Amino acid sequence: MTTGRGGDPARASLDADVLRWMRESTAWRGDDARFEELALRLFAWQFEHCAPYRRFCEGRGRTPRSLKRVGEIPPVPTGAFKELALTSFPLERTVHRFRTSGTSAGSRGVLHLDTLELYEAALLPSFRRGVLPDLGDGGRARMAVLAPSARELPESSLSHMFEVVLREHGDLASAYFVERGELDVERLLRFLDDACAAAEPVALCGTAFAFVHLLDALALRGRALTLPTGTRALETGGFKGRARVRPQRELYAEIEARLGIPAARIVNQYGMTELGSQFYDSVLAEPDAPRRKLAPPWTRVLIVDPLGGEPVPAGHTGSIVVQDLANTGSVFAVQTADLGVARGDGFEVIGREPGAEERGCSIALDELLGGAA
Amino acid sequence: MTPEAVRARLEALREAGARLRARSPHEVLALLARALDVWSDPASAWRRELEAKLPAATGFAPETVRRGLARALADWNGEALRRLAARELGDASVTRAGFETCAVVLAGSIPMPTLKALVAPLALGTPVLAKPASRDSVSVELVARSLAEIDAGLGACVSLAPLSRVDAAALDALLAAECVVVYGDDATVATLSGRSRARRFVAHGHRLSLAVLGPGAHSGTALREAAAGLAEDIALWDQLGCLSPIALYAVGADAAAADRIADALAAALADAAHRWPRGAVEPAAAALFAGERAEAELRAAAGRGAAVHADPAGAWCVVREADVRLRPAPLHRFVRVHPVEDLHALGTALAPLRRHLAGVALAGFGAGQSALARDLVTDGASLVCAPGSLQAPPLDWESEGRGVLTSLARSAAG
Repeated sequence: MTTGRGGDPARASLDADVLRWMRESTAWRGDDARFEELALRLFAWQFEHCAPYRRFCEGRGRTPRSLKRVGEIPPVPTGAFKELALTSFPLERTVHRFRTSGTSAGSRGVLHLDTLELYEAALLPSFRRGVLPDLGDGGRARMAVLAPSARELPESSLSHMFEVVLREHGDLASAYFVERGELDVERLLRFLDDACAAAEPVALCGTAFAFVHLLDALALRGRALTLPTGTRALETGGFKGRARVRPQRELYAEIEARLGIPAARIVNQYGMTELGSQFYDSVLAEPDAPRRKLAPPWTRVLIVDPLGGEPVPAGHTGSIVVQDLANTGSVFAVQTADLGVARGDGFEVIGREPGAEERGCSIALDELLGGAA
Repeated sequence: MTPEAVRARLEALREAGARLRARSPHEVLALLARALDVWSDPASAWRRELEAKLPAATGFAPETVRRGLARALADWNGEALRRLAARELGDASVTRAGFETCAVVLAGSIPMPTLKALVAPLALGTPVLAKPASRDSVSVELVARSLAEIDAGLGACVSLAPLSRVDAAALDALLAAECVVVYGDDATVATLSGRSRARRFVAHGHRLSLAVLGPGAHSGTALREAAAGLAEDIALWDQLGCLSPIALYAVGADAAAADRIADALAAALADAAHRWPRGAVEPAAAALFAGERAEAELRAAAGRGAAVHADPAGAWCVVREADVRLRPAPLHRFVRVHPVEDLHALGTALAPLRRHLAGVALAGFGAGQSALARDLVTDGASLVCAPGSLQAPPLDWESEGRGVLTSLARSAAG
């Protein structure tokens, strides 16, 4: 176990209780009382041990004593991780750092961890439910990862996630196909051809940008594969900071056309370096229900009015705030830079309307910093 | 709108333009001067109609629209147009002519660029086919109708092309005009520039404005006056116009002076919010605003030297920064105050912004102010003025520093 937590009994008790929930075979059962009890304990702990966060909360009049409900716990914007080490433990106990990918906005955010145990415990049941819900106990799947390995990018939370998933659920043929920033198309196509020949379904997992490269390569070769029944794709990461952007609907249509994976078997993962937990589309876990993102029970996703912080009415667009019990070492509540809409028991992440025009002519975020970088 | 319809409108405009150019330039100028007099008059029916319709179309508060138009159009009258024409077109040794057609791609939701975008080509006898901004179809329609009311021939030289930006075929038909004027962000301008085969392509990309306060405006009455003026510059058009300052540089200010300036600006913005309430903020913009505010609060909580003054309801925010590091500009009445040691440090801080610079509000430099203003113009500013005047640029102001009319004209000596 990789941990630098030291011997604080309150923290150890919190971690143990959260880990127990994640590892229960009934982990996906929601339990509001359990969530709220743990959330209040965790907030109190972080309020006491993360001085900048405590002063931030005090500035908003929110303390463990004054809090009326868990939804009032002040969220920290993801941008703050670019400049501040937001930890609830002494920084020298850091055992691992995850950094956000580079963007046009300049500096990269850093999540300091004093243990990887919660991160790894949180990711497995979510991945399994979202991508491999049909995998029997002890079963292993053939997986192709269109992302660099953790050995190549040790500070990428996504690469670390894939390493753990491959270790726990990948079969011997499973492999990475991005090295030194390049997609190894030839090796990947041989892998996919072999899977077709063996009628072995594949879990093709990677960044949306890597999928675009694969699809371009197939188009260049005039090839279209029909991968075996049971194959599924997991795409994540979007196109932030990339010169080429493809709308999700187009990407899915092309994956279906070139790889033979229907849209109903393509899962989008929503995750970020600043969070210990990830969120997957419901299409494989609940194929008969509308597509939405499902939140693990040790998390809550709030769709709030960005300025007021209050939840918006159902069906309205708001900022996505994630409360995540896996974040014991940093901060429990994180305000993402994304907008979303609540969809039943899940949510949908929405971006800006494609081609949306600015209301004014003054420069805002990316144009200014991109130009100045 | 189909590509064929766009081409048909351009063809009709060519004919109307020929008829317009058959009239004397003085007559055409007089008609346009009359139009500007109408728009400059707050009591005119056209102005009242725009004030009534713009809030619903754009999300700006009615008070903000009224004040914004009053400040911007007060001096945009017929006389200003005559002076502009005399200065830019009056040289008898140079023959200037317009183009057969001009396509204007409008953007944003601020009406003054629309008025100027239609009037300027017409002053050269060039008819205009305008694609309305998706966020403001009201202004262009009213301006076009007002021109037709003044003179049917003038009205026949303005046509609208309400097409989608993603309709490539229709857009290409529009970009086939001999002269193309595009407003929008730099990416849009670059895309349309690449597709246009126009003989003249005039780009109006996004720009930003700043405020620079010298020691003479760091305290007392001078500070209060500067803060009040800047608050109006920021509040009008909810800081979405390229002449709204997004940051204030306090030259020679220590931490206490920077705090004083931030306090004064916050008080002035609070006052401005009562008089000119902020309008609607879309969720993405609100999220950026809230995120930057919270991030600054965390930096303050971490002892990084920032201080945050914010309206509890999020109607405005002033962040006193500890340094000059470039940070996101969420707009919608969000301003950063940066202390800088001296003018050399100011030059270094502004260097990355030069290519984007439009206006600078300047105060507190005493005898050195004129020299600094000249330096700022050399560095790319197209408007340097006192705080409170950024939202009232003269009719001959052009964000890129080109001529308003000459940028749309062909010229030949003799």
